[in-house]
Amino acid sequence: MFSRLLPLLLVSLVTSPLLAQSPPQSPPTEPSVQGLLDRVEQLERRIAELEDHERKQATTTPPADSGSETGADIKSVEAGATPAPASHSEHMGTATEEREAQIHYPSLQIRGFGDVDFSATDQKGSVSGFDLGQFVLHLASPLSQKVSYFGEVSFTAQPNNTYELSVERTIIRYDYNDYFKLSFGKYHTPIGYWNTAFHHGAWLQTTIARPQFVKFGGTFIPVHFVGVQAEGNIPSGGLGLGYNLGIGNGRSSNFSKAGDSGDVNDNRAWVANLFARPTRLYGLEVGGSYYRDKLTPTPGTNFDEWIASGYVVWNKQRPELLAEYANVHHRDLQTSQTFNTTSYYVQLAYRLPWQVDKWKPYYRFEYIHRPGVEPVWDITGTASVVDLVGSLVGVRYDITNYAAFKGEYRNFRQGVGEPRVGGAFFQTAFTF
Amino acid sequence: MRACSKPACGILLLGWLCLGSAVMAAQSHDGDVAIVVHPDTPVNNLTLAEVRKVLLGERQYWNANIPVVLLIRAPVARERNVVLKTIYQMSESQFKQYWIAKIFRAESATAPKVVYSNDMANELATAIPGAIAFIDVREVRPGTKVIRVDGRLPGEPGYPLR
Repeated sequence: MFSRLLPLLLVSLVTSPLLAQSPPQSPPTEPSVQGLLDRVEQLERRIAELEDHERKQATTTPPADSGSETGADIKSVEAGATPAPASHSEHMGTATEEREAQIHYPSLQIRGFGDVDFSATDQKGSVSGFDLGQFVLHLASPLSQKVSYFGEVSFTAQPNNTYELSVERTIIRYDYNDYFKLSFGKYHTPIGYWNTAFHHGAWLQTTIARPQFVKFGGTFIPVHFVGVQAEGNIPSGGLGLGYNLGIGNGRSSNFSKAGDSGDVNDNRAWVANLFARPTRLYGLEVGGSYYRDKLTPTPGTNFDEWIASGYVVWNKQRPELLAEYANVHHRDLQTSQTFNTTSYYVQLAYRLPWQVDKWKPYYRFEYIHRPGVEPVWDITGTASVVDLVGSLVGVRYDITNYAAFKGEYRNFRQGVGEPRVGGAFFQTAFTF
Repeated sequence: MRACSKPACGILLLGWLCLGSAVMAAQSHDGDVAIVVHPDTPVNNLTLAEVRKVLLGERQYWNANIPVVLLIRAPVARERNVVLKTIYQMSESQFKQYWIAKIFRAESATAPKVVYSNDMANELATAIPGAIAFIDVREVRPGTKVIRVDGRLPGEPGYPLR
């Protein structure tokens, strides 16, 4: 008998403390769990309505991002679309993110570029030493969904220990669509590839120096252009065609400068550039451009100038190939004499796969040939463009994503009958 | 310890092989990265070359009224790695340099917007007209539009973003 009652007794002993710990019955006046859940659901619905209302109000304020790949603000867009169905907690989080993404126009982004250089050559009379390269500030600011501004100013150290401040680019652009974008201001003239691909800021380019024919301060091509430009894609399927068409002041009386303050003659220069980026050959770009101007280097002397150029670029890093050709044709309008100066360069580089792609050796060959007598180049009595043949070889080491060391050896002959000059050059270039 | 009999070992091995292959198959499909756009974006299908043009900033407008708004995951995210490897064919540093150069050539006013989660990508792709984002297909939420790449949706054989 006792053995039969023993399990019952044990069950009773074990369950009684547990039952004693269970909460007492709620009084009938307090809300039930279901009631509370209903209340939470109502509040969630109300919050969602309020957020939806807030989003609709924000349609006039374009959102952009709080972070972008360049550390800059993003393109303006209209908000106000219907939000995705989402859980309440997710909705709240992303609504905050969206609020943070709101910006007001204009949204200015500034990026600086600088470099420090060392050079030592065996040229007679030259001295080795350090120099500061250009200190450059780039400015970009979307003004609305379709209007944007770009600017570039440079500070260049001068021999008398002062700095020359120069507005290199100032462009206001209106985008109609991908096929037509119209801009006004001061550009880098779309002649060839290098002049528009690499601006002031040595960090952008693989090598330490630009090729001689697109050198800043040089006169071979008009590096800058003041006027109006149309650009865009051309519907061409896989061919990936694009264009630039510009009309502007052309060169000033100082051939290395653009006519910032006005045209030196009553004749506009124009430039047309056509390029292709075939989709089947990702990385390839080929293009050609034509530039025409009338030069008035001194009162009473006038020359026609035609510049024809072409390029082939493979801009993947393994390998990188840049090859450009340009011919500058001058015609004396009084004597009808013509003069042609030719230049080209070929640059090869290869991003080595070791050490997280930091090393990039490179080589460039450059060539310029001009007539012995060229009245435009010699107008000031000293030749502004001279024969040149030479090579450089070097290596770039990207110490971070935003700074690089470069070292190169150059061997050039500049001028007919002049000796070859060799030199070692080092640079650290960075963006910030 | 007693060794298992031959038939039992065979069954065990077969079981492990089946389980392993099933897991691998599941991973290969679940790992696809979907291209999602705002539902009003006037595209349903793009070739991989067209996707590349959009991501390179060479195509900046869906039409005259809808600008492209690029959304890309922050570094280390798998979706970002797939996009960089498959579409850009660039390393992380090349990608950063590309966009700095692009903006300061005055070819684009803005760089891709960085999003820090797939939730954020979903939400912004739904809220911002013209937005395009890259999201693990398992985390795509209703309210966005998944577009085909070369006629294929994520999970279909031959889909390129995985």
